[in-house]
Amino acid sequence: MEKKRLLITFFLAPSFVVLAGVVLYPFVYNVVLSFGNMNLTTIRDWDLIGFRQYVKIFTEPSQPDFYAVFWKTIVWTVVNVFFHVVLGVFLALLLNQRLRGRSMYRTILILPWAIPQYIVALTWRGMFNYEYGSLNIILNKYLGLPAVEWLKSPTEAFLACILTNVWLGFPFMMVIALGAMQSIPHELYEAASIDGARWWHRIRLITLPLIRPIMVPAITLGTIWTFNNLNIVWLVSNAGEPADNTHILVSFVYKAAFNFYGYSYAAALSMVIFVILLLFSLAFLRTTRATETAL
Amino acid sequence: MASLLSYTRLVLAGFLLMGCGMESDNSTRIVIWHQMRPDEREVLQRQLNRYALQHPSVHIVEIYKETEELRSGYVIASVSGQGPDLVYGPSDPVGVYAVTETIRPLEGLFPPTFLGEFDSSAFTFFRGHLYQIADKVGNHLALVYNKKYVQKPPESDDELLALGRQLLTRYGVRAGKPAVYPLTWNYTEPFFFIPFLTGFGGWVFREDGVTPNLDTPAMVEALNFIRDVRDKHKIVPGEADYEIADALFKEGRAAMIINGDWSWAGYLQRGLNIGVAPLPKINRTGLWCAPMTSPKGYSMNINVPESKVPLVLDLMRFLLSEENQLESVRLLMTAPTRTSLYSHPDVTSNEILNNSLLQIQRGKPMPAVPEMRAIWDAMRPGYQAVMGGSLSPEEAARQMQELALRKIRDMKE
Amino acid sequence: MNHQRLSRTLATSTTHVLLVLFALFAVFPIWQIVNISLRPGDQLLTSSLELIPSNATLENYHRLFTETEFLRWIGNSAFVAFAVTVTGVVLASTAGYGFSRFRFAGRNVGLLTLLTTQMFPATMLLLPMYIMLISLGLINTFLGVIIVYSATALPFCIWTMKGYYDTIPVSLEEAARIDGCGRVQAFYRIILPLAAPALVITALFSFMTAWSEYIVAAQILQDSQLWTLPLGLKSFEASMSTQWGLYGSASLIVMVPVIILFLALSRWLVSGLTLGSVKG
Repeated sequence: MEKKRLLITFFLAPSFVVLAGVVLYPFVYNVVLSFGNMNLTTIRDWDLIGFRQYVKIFTEPSQPDFYAVFWKTIVWTVVNVFFHVVLGVFLALLLNQRLRGRSMYRTILILPWAIPQYIVALTWRGMFNYEYGSLNIILNKYLGLPAVEWLKSPTEAFLACILTNVWLGFPFMMVIALGAMQSIPHELYEAASIDGARWWHRIRLITLPLIRPIMVPAITLGTIWTFNNLNIVWLVSNAGEPADNTHILVSFVYKAAFNFYGYSYAAALSMVIFVILLLFSLAFLRTTRATETAL
Repeated sequence: MASLLSYTRLVLAGFLLMGCGMESDNSTRIVIWHQMRPDEREVLQRQLNRYALQHPSVHIVEIYKETEELRSGYVIASVSGQGPDLVYGPSDPVGVYAVTETIRPLEGLFPPTFLGEFDSSAFTFFRGHLYQIADKVGNHLALVYNKKYVQKPPESDDELLALGRQLLTRYGVRAGKPAVYPLTWNYTEPFFFIPFLTGFGGWVFREDGVTPNLDTPAMVEALNFIRDVRDKHKIVPGEADYEIADALFKEGRAAMIINGDWSWAGYLQRGLNIGVAPLPKINRTGLWCAPMTSPKGYSMNINVPESKVPLVLDLMRFLLSEENQLESVRLLMTAPTRTSLYSHPDVTSNEILNNSLLQIQRGKPMPAVPEMRAIWDAMRPGYQAVMGGSLSPEEAARQMQELALRKIRDMKE
Repeated sequence: MNHQRLSRTLATSTTHVLLVLFALFAVFPIWQIVNISLRPGDQLLTSSLELIPSNATLENYHRLFTETEFLRWIGNSAFVAFAVTVTGVVLASTAGYGFSRFRFAGRNVGLLTLLTTQMFPATMLLLPMYIMLISLGLINTFLGVIIVYSATALPFCIWTMKGYYDTIPVSLEEAARIDGCGRVQAFYRIILPLAAPALVITALFSFMTAWSEYIVAAQILQDSQLWTLPLGLKSFEASMSTQWGLYGSASLIVMVPVIILFLALSRWLVSGLTLGSVKG
């Protein structure tokens, strides 16, 4: 028993010490802050005022409306993660076979992950320009479809952000899926072939289930990161245009905190985001039973 | 095991570098945080090098931070007892800095004779105290025109529209859009809308300088005007954005652009033969379109220890000196703040600088109060909704005012 | 026989077509950035449809290397990223193993706590983190950045390693132990090589976290001598006068080490070293 405890400590302790230090203190600080009234005028001597910030979030009408932004964030997250995973797994399947130029394809396909986000987000924004953007030029000249006013209308602007983020995110899932597929022994495929299984059977019955243990954490974390991804929405829509309609919860928080110095309000809002994500993760992990061990 | 060893070595190396990162002696090191553009930065570095030659025991460090980050980063750093000795930037965050008690009043630190050498636009006051002294005034919009297409810039709104029509007929249409847009600018951003608001007689605040005044007939007229410029007269592109307007002008696809003084050097460098003119006047009101102007200057961190203040003051005096301001004028075409320089031949002989100064004279100073932030954010949604066609100007003006009041109330809660 | 051959060729061709389409999708915006870097002056967008600008020049690259501290930033970033990668691989491979193989009180809570560290919007952690790092004397040090990055990257890496270990049957280690291997030895000799793909993912992810992260670096690294690449690139930015030429060329060069790393590691990502080969 003692030896086992020692081994556990040896394996786990370093990570936890670092994490506790870096994350715990800020977290606690934020919880306390959310019960306070820190803003521009009270920045040096703020007091605790109980649940008032939370009440404000859920009851006071805000510009834009909290519930609308919340709903938008859900749509944003679901659509993005869906395409990230589907495209990622799809491409991994294509690349996981003997193919000429495989290495070159792999490398080109991870470029979106490798390029700095700021400039590429703004480049994408440029591609959505109504008159001069590449997207409308392709739609109009080469596909004969009418040009879209991407950045002027709320829905289209939102779609623009989603498209940019899908482009940025699929390589990550592709690499994970590729790695996950390596854990599947060849014999399983061979045995299935002999039994007469076609390629879609093999994918559905062997590949997909067996990459699950590794995809599930990636999907969970991918969901959490996408939910909290401030950059793309901010940059592609130019901080919420048109008319503050393109916001997700986290850009809303950013504006509250850094543009208006409503630090306590932003802290409370962050706690709300945190609780939402926590509930999601618990539910998701329970249904996929991902916390089980190999034993 | 090998990896563990190399990891330990790295950690030790990290500790050593940790030593490298820290400063040895606080009193002989002065830190400046700024948001200067690259060309301004170069000039600053030259000036600091000269200072270092004269003062070998003082080590000066200048750090660039992007404007928004400078604002929030400085407040956080100073409130935590840290931060630079001097912070340089436009005047609008000064109110925020003062309220958060992160900068100190300057009036007692300089003799009146020194202060008397500056134009009043160099000083930013807040609630009665002097918090920032500027070495440049600017940040103002003006009408920049490509002399290939426009030889005489328009002086009124009617002239502007007439010129626009002329250019459209002369250069015609290519691939469904005008070959040369008469005018382009970032018209969806409130800052770029202000000159027209003032041209129709409006302003963002009431007399007291802190109460919003956005629901006015002037606002409605100005909104209608911009919309007509785009939809009725069609002299601007359908979609506006800073980068695309800039690109169009740089590629010679636009005859005129409304842009600020930070951009003119870039156009000259690009080889465009440009002229700068003050924005036109609105014939109906007889008022000139007045953009917001902002001084850019130095404020002192409240955390600077008393013993160090004289050193910092000496540096400030140097950076604000006549010689250094003249250097900026020559190299950057910025407007100086010392009254003695207004009549200097280098200033009066430069056509662009002259026009720039004229525009500044006609401009209005950007308010430095924290409430200004609320105004920008309150104007933006309504303004963009009007341009997007989903809101009428009257309704938008009302909403802007309501939103501004609410945001200010939130800020103070 | 011919029928099989035909369907296989069809399958291969379709695969190639699809991959080419997606490759174009991936490359298109990057091509725009190449254009930005070749354009003289600083221009992000363009109204022309040229594939390569007619006035293309390499001046931006030249200026990048001669007039800026770009090389220093690369050096700093390389150091930090390397340290974070090594830390990430070492700590995640061991912690992941612990979670996969051992049952102990607080195990599930531990796993969930790891996840929860990711749920907080990063912007909110800035102020308290700044205060904490000041009191620890870690502001303006590489050590501070390395610690924070490692902490940021670890949860994902631990979960991924754990998930991968879960697919390796315990019987393999038990067989090795019966043969006389110690537990730790079994870990090094047998389990780690099999988990190579997950190690690659961990390494790549840790590297990318350190290589492209901006916000934390901006808070911690104040001295421009210590700047990492994202901070350096940010200095080309200004709200309305960004030096796009330098930014574009720098962005492309920033990608190169990532590509090199990926090429070097992908051998182990698609190792083909599966259980079947080991069992024999």
